[in-house]
Amino acid sequence: MTNTGSESSQFDIVKHYNDLVETDSSISSPVAAVGSLVKMIEKQNATTMLEFMMIVRTACDKLKKATNNSISLSAGCDVFLQQMSRLSNAQSVDECRRALIRAGSDFVQGAGKCRDNVAEFGSPFVRDDQTILVHSYSRVIMGLLRRAVKQNKRFRVYITESRPDQSGLQAAEELNRLGVPCEVILDAAVGYIIEKVDLILVGAEGVVESGGLINKIGTYQLAIIAKAAKKPFYALAESFKFVRLYPLSQYDLPTFRSDLLSFKDKADAKIDWQAELSRSNPMLDYTPPDLITLMFTDLGVMTPSGVSDELIKFYLD
Amino acid sequence: MESPKQHPAPFSRELAGNIEDFITKLKRGELQGSKTVALKTANLMRHVVADSRWNDAESLKTIIKGVGKRILKAQPRELLITNIVCRVLHIVNEAAPRIEDACISGSASSTPASRGTETPAMGLGSTMSSRNLADQLAASLAREESNLYHIKTDIISEINEYIADMESTEEEIATSALDHIHSNEIILTCGRSRTVENFLLTAARKRKFQVIVTECAPTYDGHEQAKALTCPNIEVTVIPDSAVFAIMSRVNKVILGTHAVMANGGLIAASGTHMIAAAARHHSTQVMVCAGLYKHAPSFPFDDDRLNALMAPDAILPYGDGHLVDAVDVVSPRYDYVPPDLVDILVDDNGGHLPSYVYRLLQEIYDNAKDLAWNIPDQ
Repeated sequence: MTNTGSESSQFDIVKHYNDLVETDSSISSPVAAVGSLVKMIEKQNATTMLEFMMIVRTACDKLKKATNNSISLSAGCDVFLQQMSRLSNAQSVDECRRALIRAGSDFVQGAGKCRDNVAEFGSPFVRDDQTILVHSYSRVIMGLLRRAVKQNKRFRVYITESRPDQSGLQAAEELNRLGVPCEVILDAAVGYIIEKVDLILVGAEGVVESGGLINKIGTYQLAIIAKAAKKPFYALAESFKFVRLYPLSQYDLPTFRSDLLSFKDKADAKIDWQAELSRSNPMLDYTPPDLITLMFTDLGVMTPSGVSDELIKFYLD
Repeated sequence: MESPKQHPAPFSRELAGNIEDFITKLKRGELQGSKTVALKTANLMRHVVADSRWNDAESLKTIIKGVGKRILKAQPRELLITNIVCRVLHIVNEAAPRIEDACISGSASSTPASRGTETPAMGLGSTMSSRNLADQLAASLAREESNLYHIKTDIISEINEYIADMESTEEEIATSALDHIHSNEIILTCGRSRTVENFLLTAARKRKFQVIVTECAPTYDGHEQAKALTCPNIEVTVIPDSAVFAIMSRVNKVILGTHAVMANGGLIAASGTHMIAAAARHHSTQVMVCAGLYKHAPSFPFDDDRLNALMAPDAILPYGDGHLVDAVDVVSPRYDYVPPDLVDILVDDNGGHLPSYVYRLLQEIYDNAKDLAWNIPDQ
């Protein structure tokens, strides 16, 4: 069976994943991961169940290792693996493969619908004459605001600049095109502006088992400020971003590296602080559930504690 | 003018009249009190199920939703109508596989649809395979008696059971009274609530304690409550609403009634309740809320104004002072929204729950969010 092994290794799953993400800017990484895995099992021809499962598992590991934002990607891989173990009592490998390909393709096609559902459940929370604070760029938030605009609601949006990649500027551009009055604010100006804000919307890289949130750096401090100012803090996430993690602190995330902000010995060299800044800073942070008012998901509006319920229902089935 | 012809639902004359009557009463505000509205709605729904023509679950659900929408339009602020209609829809949904079966065997009398072979959908929140199994089992059990007439009576008796539960809900809640009220405690309550009245009187059969009732201006419901609570074991004190904060330091426990409980555990309760809850929080006094399961609304409070109602200003500024009307604005809101973090425990028919657990209860009593979408006001 060395033959099949080499054949599957010819298909570069990481490359396929990267191509998917690059060509389609609206695809989110868990969906791209499932899409790549489907492509991968189409290409290989394992003859035993064990071999088949092994190949899928190695492919998942490879994907997780190869990309830097492994959190939401691993959510996609987990959903796929769970589906595989559900189908593992199939008659033959071929039957299992066919069923898995069908389920996977359905999942990829249905993913766009998820975002619409989030928008549907969340849009009643946006009302006329509100001021909304948005952190960073998130496709699902854009979907919700677009729907609110379509419902002829008039509101204003403050967007955080969201260093270091300044993704807030992209969000501002898009909202401007929609005709929504918006301002980009410095990440450091959140405390200054919070009094004028009615509600805060953030997206999610991943939603963890505690009901907490993993998202673009700055979300945690935003949530703390929102709590202090008693403003509602809503998180938006599609259900395929629910991940099986239970971080207890910022440093439990899989993206944690020991060289992040770690007081390296820089005594002898002349330091380029600007370059050092982006190199040694984290890109994601963890927001604990007690700072989140509600989550808007495609399964409905839920409290953070509802998330673990859904996860248990899915993974213990 | 809304004529029955606009809604070509297959209603008998009597039922159509009943619906119109109910709508008129709602519009005039003749129905007050959460329980009255809930019971009336449930009775009407039972009538709708019994007296309309339908052949499958979908058409029955459409009929129920149609009637639900009409009633809700008459009194959009009344959360309990939504609760009851959702619950009835849930009952119909549970019976749906049996209705389907009855239709299949009735029309073709051939092999039933093979539902079990398809692969389950991928992703969270999709139908569980165990659920499918249970459905199939229920369907095969029901096949013997697959007769629409039987199913109709089944649904009606389910609704009857629900109504009976609703009627006895105060007594059910009161059974846990002795767990929460201890001898010589000082308890503060607000306004008129039969649930709280029952709760306190049940505890008073065994224990002696003191109750402070806020009078709840401008309705002065508190006076009624104080009268209702007179019994040898309870020492009742009535205080003005303005004295709540001053007296809170002496209170052991706040026990409140409510009009409705929202999906996040927040309350829609008599105006003045928020102030009491906030004062209790300041003094770290426990806040307990007694509410039957039928008061749990499956929606989140995203629009505070839509959930409130304004009462006649007469009680605050008598019409005798009519000449002042141009100069003064008088506002008399009926309800308060109390955020869930000010509530410590919610007591219902099954015992006490945390506000954060409410969403779980809702999943049990109603269907999932997608089926509830009919009441989301979306333009």
